[in-house]
Amino acid sequence: MDKEQEKNVSSDSKTAENKEGVDADVLFTEFRESSVADFFKKNRQMLGLYGKQRTLTTIIHEIVTNSLDACEEAGILPDIEVKVSEIGKEYYEIYVKDNGPGIPENKIGSALGKLLAGTKFHRLVQTRGQQGIGVSGIILFSQITTGKPSKVISGTNNGKTFSLEISIDSKTNSSKIANKHYLDKHYRGLAIKSKFKEIIYKKGQNSVDEYLRRTAISNPHANIKFEDPFGEATIYTRTVKKLPKIPQSVKPHPRGVTVDEMLTFARHSSTRKVSSYLTGTYDRFGQSAVNNVSKLVHFDLNKDPRKLTWDEAEEIVDAIKQTKFIAPNTDNLVPIGDLQIEKSLKSIVEPEFLAVNTRKPSVYHGGYAFQVEAGIAYGGHAGRSVVRSNSKSEDGERETRVSEIIRYSNKAPLLFDAGGCVITKTAQSVDWKRYGISNFDNAPITVFLNLISVHIPYTSAGKSAIADEEEIVNEIKLALMEVARRVGVYIIQKKKDAERQEKRRVFSKYVPYIAEALSSASGCSKENLEKNLLKMVLERLKLDDEQNGFNENKTLKSKLKKDSSKAIVEEAEEFDKENIDEE
Amino acid sequence: MSKIENKSDNKDDNSKSKEDYDFETNEMTATKIRNVIDGMIHQIENMHQPTFTTKVRGQSNVHFNDRDRILELGDKCTKRSFLNLGHARKFMQTSLILDRCYEYLRNQKTASIREVYYELKRDIAKTKEYTFANQGESNDVIVDVEHAINSIREKLNLQAEPKGALYGDVTLKDMKHDGDEFNCSTLGRGGWSIMSRIEPEEIKILNVNANYLLVVETSAMYNRLIEERFPKKHKCILLSVGGQAARGARRLIHRLHTECKLPVIVFTDGDPYGWYIYSVIKQGSMALAAHSKYLAVPDAKYVGMTISDVETYSLQNVTETLKEGGIKRAKEVMAYPWFSSEEWQTELKTAIKKKIRIEQQALANKSLEFVAEKYLPEKIENKIFLP
Repeated sequence: MDKEQEKNVSSDSKTAENKEGVDADVLFTEFRESSVADFFKKNRQMLGLYGKQRTLTTIIHEIVTNSLDACEEAGILPDIEVKVSEIGKEYYEIYVKDNGPGIPENKIGSALGKLLAGTKFHRLVQTRGQQGIGVSGIILFSQITTGKPSKVISGTNNGKTFSLEISIDSKTNSSKIANKHYLDKHYRGLAIKSKFKEIIYKKGQNSVDEYLRRTAISNPHANIKFEDPFGEATIYTRTVKKLPKIPQSVKPHPRGVTVDEMLTFARHSSTRKVSSYLTGTYDRFGQSAVNNVSKLVHFDLNKDPRKLTWDEAEEIVDAIKQTKFIAPNTDNLVPIGDLQIEKSLKSIVEPEFLAVNTRKPSVYHGGYAFQVEAGIAYGGHAGRSVVRSNSKSEDGERETRVSEIIRYSNKAPLLFDAGGCVITKTAQSVDWKRYGISNFDNAPITVFLNLISVHIPYTSAGKSAIADEEEIVNEIKLALMEVARRVGVYIIQKKKDAERQEKRRVFSKYVPYIAEALSSASGCSKENLEKNLLKMVLERLKLDDEQNGFNENKTLKSKLKKDSSKAIVEEAEEFDKENIDEE
Repeated sequence: MSKIENKSDNKDDNSKSKEDYDFETNEMTATKIRNVIDGMIHQIENMHQPTFTTKVRGQSNVHFNDRDRILELGDKCTKRSFLNLGHARKFMQTSLILDRCYEYLRNQKTASIREVYYELKRDIAKTKEYTFANQGESNDVIVDVEHAINSIREKLNLQAEPKGALYGDVTLKDMKHDGDEFNCSTLGRGGWSIMSRIEPEEIKILNVNANYLLVVETSAMYNRLIEERFPKKHKCILLSVGGQAARGARRLIHRLHTECKLPVIVFTDGDPYGWYIYSVIKQGSMALAAHSKYLAVPDAKYVGMTISDVETYSLQNVTETLKEGGIKRAKEVMAYPWFSSEEWQTELKTAIKKKIRIEQQALANKSLEFVAEKYLPEKIENKIFLP
């Protein structure tokens, strides 16, 4: 623009000012940069902190997960204590203590006082499904609702045990530490005490109690103790003395990569050519794939990856779509394990019958490896206990058991949004009648399902329900049908046993009367007659069993055991060996 | 199940009547029971499950014997086994009844079927069950045993409640009551109460002075006729069954007919239930088809009430409506082979069509005396009967 036009513009704008609205300059005087922490303050529902009961459970989830992860990484069997105390209306204090490695003095500020600073964000790894805000987010939330700092005690193997108060400066996203002093007692681990308002402790399906119960189920190697606001304690004792394998990070599979990721990884790459970047960074990306891609793109793959442009990255992603790749490596998935789940469910759920099945890993969406572990606990204390008002009887109330589906993503319990979750939907779509469960909703059954993957497809940012991916639905269904079948066999056998018992009872109870009547009229020995009759009853029952295929079932059962995991048998032997050593 | 041997196959017709009814003594019955028990014991001792065989009762095994004109039980048998879940309880009950009856027979005691029930009712150890939950159960088993050994219940020394009454010039001797002899026309207006056991060795019929036996359905009619001195005036024996005839009454009717050669005339209400009462006396019942030989009187005749009587004696305004259940029953009765005669078919058809029934006491509409002075004498003298 020349000077004259400029003048016109400015005078125009001045007149514009007088004529309509507010000038951008004015508006923008208010403009400030919001920090991560500020954002969090205003958008906490994105991070699962909405709903008073749900918020409390999420808080516990973040801290406990943190402890479990820390212990596992340090090779320590976790001992975790959780305590919730009521201070006032919707005002609670939460205390969590672990026996993990602790946080060193010099790292405490950044570990707990800074949001989004962590080791897990940039790796493709099977993680416990945290929100990602971690303990820092919890500390900030405490501050927001109460204005108070959180109290932390930490002890490591080196150095003294210390205690301090920590809060977060939301504008600078950094920690503020106060009242630091050293403690004489020897302690290794991390203990956090935080106060929160706008939360509620309630018992029931979405409660802290249920969350910790489910956590205990999926972490059989952990000791978990929970004390509720009424002072009642629940203790889950570990049933497995072996630490689970730590999932390693994997190379991403080309199928799932977005343009942004492609570009970002390229920019951070230390290779000299784009082609080497591709083969080095991505799983299953071999020379033939490179050749294919180079044919499809309009630039040279020999160029420096750090100079890759957005358009070029986009071209590569498109080319990938048209290239064939082998399914991703699934070796790095770490399931909880059949035996471990069995021990855990047995100890915590206390059912009559248990069946567990771990499927082989599979792939969804062409690029993400996943694996399904399913278990069914039936009878005994399985299922959820509810008190129903019985309108017929005068007692008014009756305690019955109803079914429960406990869902996990990467070993972390999913408590909310059950209705929208693929696990719930698939479990309910199973034809339970076929397996002898005529009314699934009211059956004493606990269905356990754990989905593990490096990339869990959640339905929303709340991360409480898993989306319907076809391959995942399939695997869940197959896993459930396998365990349901075993439950079915058990139920049928139980019925048969009951019938057998009934028959035996029916016949035996009449024997003395028959013997007496016949002996009285004839003079024959009553004892002899009784003896013979009872013998006949037993023989006849044996005959019935054979005819009804009881023996057939026995062989069927043992066949099942053989088929569905030779591997399990072998693992079991190994497992027991190791356990014995430790004990 | 051995049939009772007819000891006098070759006797001539005159004494046939004496041999027709059974000469079975207590001892003979006891032996039959003992045989069943011994059979079971034998099975048990040889490690075979004990069984009890009896005849199938019910329509599938009952048929009408055209020649003898009585309802008979076929040969279908049913075997009850101890080791059958569905039979076990009944089997136990059967063994108890067998033992008890054997006891009675050996010790010359009788018992009512209700007493049997009480005697045998005990609770079964370790259960909330009783050997017999109600008298119905024990009654059923008694009938089973009857049919198994082909002996009438009375032979088992069991008896039911007395039902029915007998009036007229007939002399009876009660062997079980010090040999008491009595004439049923001098026992007062009530006559003699018919016991459930009318077996020849207990009740002997010494003498009868009558031309026929009139069997009436209601005790009201029985009283009416006695008040009008009908039995004396018309030289007949009067027997009231009080609704559906009980065994004792049927047995007595049978004996009076066969021993004393008395023709039997039956007088009931004019409705399907009354006609069925007649049919039971005449042909036998399905429940006791096995014993029709000792209970049925195929030659019995029916004097009334008939639907034709309504017309004949102008009783139109004292008929009752034949309701749904009655119509259904009438149709059932129409289908029985022994009601197949033209006369009966007409009667039944008319009853259904006009939807009416006529009670015997309705004759009082003419006058109280009408039944005794006009209706019965006229019809009986002129033999206006239905077959």
